[in-house]
Amino acid sequence: MGLLTILKKMKQKEKEVRLLMLGLDNAGKTTILKKFNGEDIDTISPTLGFNIKTLEHRGFKLNVWDVGGQKSLRSYWRNYFESTDGLIWVVDSADKRRLQDCKQELHSLLLEERLAGATLLVFANKQDLPGSLPSEEIRQALELDEIKSHHWMICGCSAVTGDNLLLGIDWIIDDIASRIFTMD
Amino acid sequence: MAASNIGNDDIEDMEFQEENLCSSSSSISDTKFDMTIGHIEDIIMDDDFQDMQQNFMEKNYVHFEDTEENKFIYTDIFKEYTDLIEKFIEDKLTARMPGFVMSEFTRQLQTRQNELSGEIFEILLTFSDFISFKEMFIDYKAEKEGRTVDFSSGFVITPCSQQLEISSQNLEPPTS
Ligand SMILES: Nc1nc2c(ncn2[C@@H]2O[C@H](COP(=O)(O)OP(=O)(O)OP(=O)(O)O)[C@@H](O)[C@H]2O)c(=O)[nH]1
Ligand SMILES: [Mg+2]
Repeated sequence: MGLLTILKKMKQKEKEVRLLMLGLDNAGKTTILKKFNGEDIDTISPTLGFNIKTLEHRGFKLNVWDVGGQKSLRSYWRNYFESTDGLIWVVDSADKRRLQDCKQELHSLLLEERLAGATLLVFANKQDLPGSLPSEEIRQALELDEIKSHHWMICGCSAVTGDNLLLGIDWIIDDIASRIFTMD
Repeated sequence: MAASNIGNDDIEDMEFQEENLCSSSSSISDTKFDMTIGHIEDIIMDDDFQDMQQNFMEKNYVHFEDTEENKFIYTDIFKEYTDLIEKFIEDKLTARMPGFVMSEFTRQLQTRQNELSGEIFEILLTFSDFISFKEMFIDYKAEKEGRTVDFSSGFVITPCSQQLEISSQNLEPPTS
């Protein structure tokens, strides 16, 4: 590890949290990010690279990274694993056809060494859509109960209405904080 | 900068003093640590450093666009940038301080977590901050493109900020 990386890591004791938001394309990652930040969500196009936002919330500085989820882009995800405190996995709860694909992508992420210490929040997004599966069914479809390696929670939400976004974010911050910031 | 002419003579002086006046090994390492920080300050204020930064921006700015979304290539360029700066600082320190070992210095840094305040640390931290990095390139590009227009219309606008001055020194003739 080089000088700059070491300094950066040392500086980050000050209530700074890095969240990485991933999931299949069209899941609603960018919409969640913008909604949470109070921005307009009507003109969002598919992400071909990545977005970063720094948000202040409850005295924490959240650095949220949102990376494009199209199949051809997923090999780039690994460039963003480093130093991740929390992984937010976003699911389109109305996209039943791709749940299998969604499960596989998630479980292979959880094997990544650089994500080993991260807390996992699953957002079962698009709960406002009539045909969407409730979070309980997403939980089963993604076999979340198999996960022993990470702290996790699933939370049904809607990026469009904003429902439950705060609940999920608050949970992941609390979990990370209880692991990291109680050491001082 | 007053501190910028600390050369090898001064280092020897200090080592001499340490041997004679300071018996505890911790104060020797204190002095060496403070000296290293002083050198880093000088190194990043130096023209060589600015030139290195300018050349790097010149080589890479075409990839950058002033849009909210980031391209994956920014991440590669960012990695290259931080590696370059780390290597630059390490090489210069090694040249200035015989026997300097970076891993030893970074280990000391970590034991002094609470003492690391001051402008130098702020500056070093911006080098590893992606958002600052992107802004630097967007600014460079805007300035560059502004200038291209100036050339084509036959006017040269005299830069007014210091940053503009630095880059205008390295300005190559337009290649149209
Ligand atoms: N009804 C409904 N639509 C949503 C919701 N969240 C996102 N969408 C829509 O789903 C589409 C995809 O949203 P994005 O935020 O671009 O999805 P993404 O995960 O960032 O997709 P990629 O950038 O391709 O990885 C957009 O048309 C959004 O308006 C939601 O909670 N409810
Ligand atoms: Mg997106």
